[in-house]
Amino acid sequence: MNKKLGLLLIPLVLFFLLVFFLFQGLFSDPRQLDSQADGKPVPGFSLPDLMDPATTYDQDVFKGEVTILNVWGVWCVTCAVEMPFLTQLRQQQDVHFVGLYFDQDLDPDFGTKTLSRVQDEVTDMLSRYGNPYQFNIFDVYRDTSLDLGVTGAPEHFLIDSQGVIRMHHIGDINERVWKTKVGPLYQQLIAEKKAAEQGLHKGDE
Amino acid sequence: MMKNIFLLLVLTLGLYEPALAVEDSYAFADPAQRVAFLELTAVLRCPMCQNQNIADSDAMIAHDMRRKVYSLLKEGKTKQEVIAYMKDRYGDFVYYKPPVTFATIWLWALPVIFIVSLMYFVIRRRSQPPEQDIDAKLKQAEAMLKQDDS
Repeated sequence: MNKKLGLLLIPLVLFFLLVFFLFQGLFSDPRQLDSQADGKPVPGFSLPDLMDPATTYDQDVFKGEVTILNVWGVWCVTCAVEMPFLTQLRQQQDVHFVGLYFDQDLDPDFGTKTLSRVQDEVTDMLSRYGNPYQFNIFDVYRDTSLDLGVTGAPEHFLIDSQGVIRMHHIGDINERVWKTKVGPLYQQLIAEKKAAEQGLHKGDE
Repeated sequence: MMKNIFLLLVLTLGLYEPALAVEDSYAFADPAQRVAFLELTAVLRCPMCQNQNIADSDAMIAHDMRRKVYSLLKEGKTKQEVIAYMKDRYGDFVYYKPPVTFATIWLWALPVIFIVSLMYFVIRRRSQPPEQDIDAKLKQAEAMLKQDDS
């Protein structure tokens, strides 16, 4: 009798496993990729400032400050949408944003746009939606974006004061995302930075 | 008429060749490298438009990845090295062939387990003919007969 009951239960169990599996699929986001950048230092680069190409930055520019590296471009609609909120974060909470700018039309294979036109467009957009950035790094050939595993824009990298990437957020930062996902880690990194500084000072004494 | 259609069919089928989607402006001195390039762009997946390989996709990221594949091959990197380079940045996702891990082993194991267990059940059924519980059946029949009598 027990054996029969067991046999009868097999389809039922299989059915529930299937339901569980498919139910999960309802809420899974295929765009949610495991970022390979998490926990790794920022890859090496040497890129010019967008507004002042004579200035060059490398990966050490992120050391000593908790930074949100924002991958964006003027052609990106969602970037324009999030810009006022990012500006608000900069003004109210002193969040340190750095832009990683890349342009779609400045294709190395076809190359049609001049740098001054890109700069004009950027100035225009920032004056319209607010400027959250301390400065913008110009990823001319989009090599650094590729090294970072960027798939599009906007994307954000939370970088700690040691220059290590701690979070890769694909998509925009809005109030909800800031409250539930990005903000808490940002505060934690700030706290980590302060603790490290205090530790250093104690070591000095 | 029939003959013409047949001829047309043969001609079109004869002309058919897998379309080389990526031409762009990538020139290779070494034909083997060109073959490697076409193969790689076919097996690498575009992270933006997720159901296309980077040869088919027109997304900017696919353009950039093709350019990267090209320059890596030019540097003399092997196919495996290029795949590893892309996996390093975009994860296992970027390569159409999944690695065998504990999470993915079921893709291969489940069908095998299913077939083997099914075979086991079928064979066991065949070798054990169901026991005819004659006594019980006789009793049942007698009871029914009695009912009819009354």
